[in-house]
Amino acid sequence: MIALAESFAERSARERARGLLDPGTARELIDPFERVESPYLAAQGVVPQSDDGVVVMRGTLGGVRACVVATDGRFLGGSIGEIGGAKIAGALELTLRDAERGTPTRLVLALDTGGIRLQEANLAILAVSEIADAITALRAKQPVVALVAGRVGVYGGLSLCTSLCSAILVTEGARIGLNGPDVIETEAGVEELDASDLPLVWRITGGKRRFEQGFATELVRDDVDAIRAAVVRAFEEPRELPPLEMPAIPEGYAP
Amino acid sequence: MSRGAEWFAHVGAGGTPVAGLPASVRAADTTIDGVPVRVVAVVRDPGARFPRARQGEVGIDEGFALARAVRGTPPGSAILAIVDVPGQAFGVREEAIGLQRALAASAQAYVQMRRGGHPVLALVVGKAISGAFLAHGLQAGWIGAIDDAAVEVHVMSKPAVARVTRMDEADLVRIAREVPATARDIETFARFGAVDELFPAGVAPEAVVAALAPALRDGRGLRNPVARLAYPGAVQTRALAREVRARLQEAWDA
Repeated sequence: MIALAESFAERSARERARGLLDPGTARELIDPFERVESPYLAAQGVVPQSDDGVVVMRGTLGGVRACVVATDGRFLGGSIGEIGGAKIAGALELTLRDAERGTPTRLVLALDTGGIRLQEANLAILAVSEIADAITALRAKQPVVALVAGRVGVYGGLSLCTSLCSAILVTEGARIGLNGPDVIETEAGVEELDASDLPLVWRITGGKRRFEQGFATELVRDDVDAIRAAVVRAFEEPRELPPLEMPAIPEGYAP
Repeated sequence: MSRGAEWFAHVGAGGTPVAGLPASVRAADTTIDGVPVRVVAVVRDPGARFPRARQGEVGIDEGFALARAVRGTPPGSAILAIVDVPGQAFGVREEAIGLQRALAASAQAYVQMRRGGHPVLALVVGKAISGAFLAHGLQAGWIGAIDDAAVEVHVMSKPAVARVTRMDEADLVRIAREVPATARDIETFARFGAVDELFPAGVAPEAVVAALAPALRDGRGLRNPVARLAYPGAVQTRALAREVRARLQEAWDA
């Protein structure tokens, strides 16, 4: 019998986080029943979600204590608001505390996000500055692994943060960029980028391209088992992203 | 001259310019009240090789150059970021090259220098926008700002916000009054506790420089961003961010 791949990208954030941890070990922190949800969205015509689009799951990964944080690309583009940002930053801060106490926790950021939530703009940018600081501090002590394997990919402030991680695992269907295509088209005009030209968008920001550039440490298939194995490998046989230095600029890119 | 360039000239006056940077990134080693300080700014360069980074935006060259300038800070010297950045570069070439890594380079340099013992201060004198502010200014342990209408903090231009959120611009103005996090003025931003000192509009540059001296000496420039959650104002305005951390901590090892 041929076993069909089970898509990771088609899963919800909660099922993504659960699926990365060792079977039977996942335990959600601040689950949706605690109803910690954004008070800022109703005034802007948006129905809030009880987990604010970010899931924090503790458990073990490859038998070692772990925490997976997964953003929900289906809720407001996976955007990060005050609560979701605090979940990510808080998980990083506690992981850093664990590292300092000598009880290391493996930390995986399963990101599927357009970046800062515009409806909570300045609260979110402050959260992202905390996330960037905490990733950098944690990375000095242990691997910090980002998994970009969703339909949105990772953009904006969170793509800056992703680049601060020690390793990035990416699927071919996911993208890594700073400005989303719609934003570039609005800010710079359609002559700069036609946001509807999806093949072009994937050629320059798609997971395969980022891996070829060396900006992702592993290109993984969109398959739950393959991704889980790759995540465990990212801790047991860690590969580091290259230092953040000026890359070679292809000819014609800068006049 | 842009505001950033003017303030860089005031604050960095008499300092030794740092060589080897593109024209859009300025750095100089000076002293403020006897404390050595490396002053760093992004300024307009109409001749910049990337067309989308000619108005003071943080692009490929700026991100990596900021990182070099910050990392090159002499031992024992503090760092002062002069912030007047209208945003990151919105360009397809930048995306192809990997703009997220250029901005990350700069943010990482600021974090590592601050955590390595160099006080980092930021003075917001103009626009402090989005990825550009994350890369240049927001990793400071102490942030000062001029309280006037030309000083703006936000994450995206109004037309782009309208497109992404599918609201019209008139709605955005109304919402900014109801949801302070979406406002663009510095006074509202300061309510979140991230601004340590607001200087009145028209303040003399000498007065600002004099006010930097205590912050350079007393360790406030060494604080990590998470410390802002405990600042006056933030206890109320960022109550949810505090509560989430408290709940996480309680449940972490439960």
